[in-house]
Amino acid sequence: MSLEGWAPQINDYTSLSEVVDYAFDYRGNTTIVKRDGSELVGYIFNRNADVPEPFIQFFDEQGEGPFTLPYADIATIKFTGKDTAAGNSWKAWVERKEKEKALKAAAAGAGPLGRDPRPHGG
Amino acid sequence: MSVPISQMATVTGYVVKQKLRGRTRYPLVLMLEPLFRCNLACAGCGKIQYPAQILKKHLTVEQCLRAVEECGAPIVSIPGGEPLMYPDIDKLVVELVKRRKYIYLCTNAILLKEKLDLFTPSKYLTFSVHMDGLREEHDDAVCRDGVFDQAVDGIKAALQRGFRVTTNTTLFDGTSPLRMREFFDEMMTLGVEGMMLSPGYSYSKAPDQEHFLRESRTHQLFSEMLSNPKRRWKFNQSPLFLRFLMGKKDYECTPWGNPTFNMFGWQRPCYLLQEGYAASFQELMDNTRWENYGKKSGNDKCRDCMVHCGYEATAVDHTFSSWKGFAETVAVTLTGKL
Repeated sequence: MSLEGWAPQINDYTSLSEVVDYAFDYRGNTTIVKRDGSELVGYIFNRNADVPEPFIQFFDEQGEGPFTLPYADIATIKFTGKDTAAGNSWKAWVERKEKEKALKAAAAGAGPLGRDPRPHGG
Repeated sequence: MSVPISQMATVTGYVVKQKLRGRTRYPLVLMLEPLFRCNLACAGCGKIQYPAQILKKHLTVEQCLRAVEECGAPIVSIPGGEPLMYPDIDKLVVELVKRRKYIYLCTNAILLKEKLDLFTPSKYLTFSVHMDGLREEHDDAVCRDGVFDQAVDGIKAALQRGFRVTTNTTLFDGTSPLRMREFFDEMMTLGVEGMMLSPGYSYSKAPDQEHFLRESRTHQLFSEMLSNPKRRWKFNQSPLFLRFLMGKKDYECTPWGNPTFNMFGWQRPCYLLQEGYAASFQELMDNTRWENYGKKSGNDKCRDCMVHCGYEATAVDHTFSSWKGFAETVAVTLTGKL
């Protein structure tokens, strides 16, 4: 299931650290909402929670970066960009192959072997 | 086996030097990813799913060379993305050859024929062409018809011009051992120097999650494929790794054996898992919790992994760690019996 469109609220049930982990794992752009209310859009490629001052790293929408931002400055992260790992290419390929096979089978059905054995009734 | 003597000597010298220095963790192959862009979107690959601004970016040659110096591995593998789409690939190869690094340029070969003029044949440069089987299987694996034929054309052109060419094949569940044996014959007839094999890894981002080989199936498939190997088949990898895939050996992963550098930094812990990035190679080696990876660690993500980038380094290390391992490697190399 994709997280595309998710705009989590940080509260007792969802911690910032969890949301950062999801965002790190997400293959699309996100919107980082800062504590001062400003927003940054970009691709989060790294995070480190095991250092004295945990941080994320990201490239912005123009590909500029990398920028580093401490967890302490983040209010939440919204999953606003398209999830590029959603798997459509494989699905589309399988569907196309299936269609091709069905078309081939149908074409073969119109040939001598697939002809109605009792074309004139009886 | 088909690794040239000069390359074998370089790797042997390097490993012996590491052992004499008492280094227990050392890299063997640097996986250098100058870009993520690719002209294919294969079902089994989780490498290219990024937003557009990331796919447009690439490393500079200077960044690549700095990583090569930092790492120090004798072999540099250039996967991607598709490295022939990297605008400075010719400059990068020239610089790596100057530094006497053995280069495996991992390509799907769609662009190989038209890009050959950019390169000069050298013992240091090998085009490692991605081939996942015969025409039908390969085109299915890369999700596009006609790619097998394009790759064969590229291989022929490269061989004709004196380049070293190998193939690399990722195997998934459902692979027919008999068809693979036919594939080995066909690649040898084409004249490639050697073949590399590996079971696929279940990237969590790969679109197809159903066909990754589990451990027992891997043993079965590789045993059926490689038992009674033909004398003409040549594999460009450690014979002990192939024996491991056949279930004849039990190895533990060496996650630092093939470190990866790309535009995000040094990937933790390995080529396949992305758990964060270190800013330098030293930081990667010093601050990664290596005990959390490999089968014995109990890490679920490592459970079924038998991929070359984790286990080939183990096999090479085993060759040089004991007389038994060395003798076994020599015996398999001489007899061709896996």
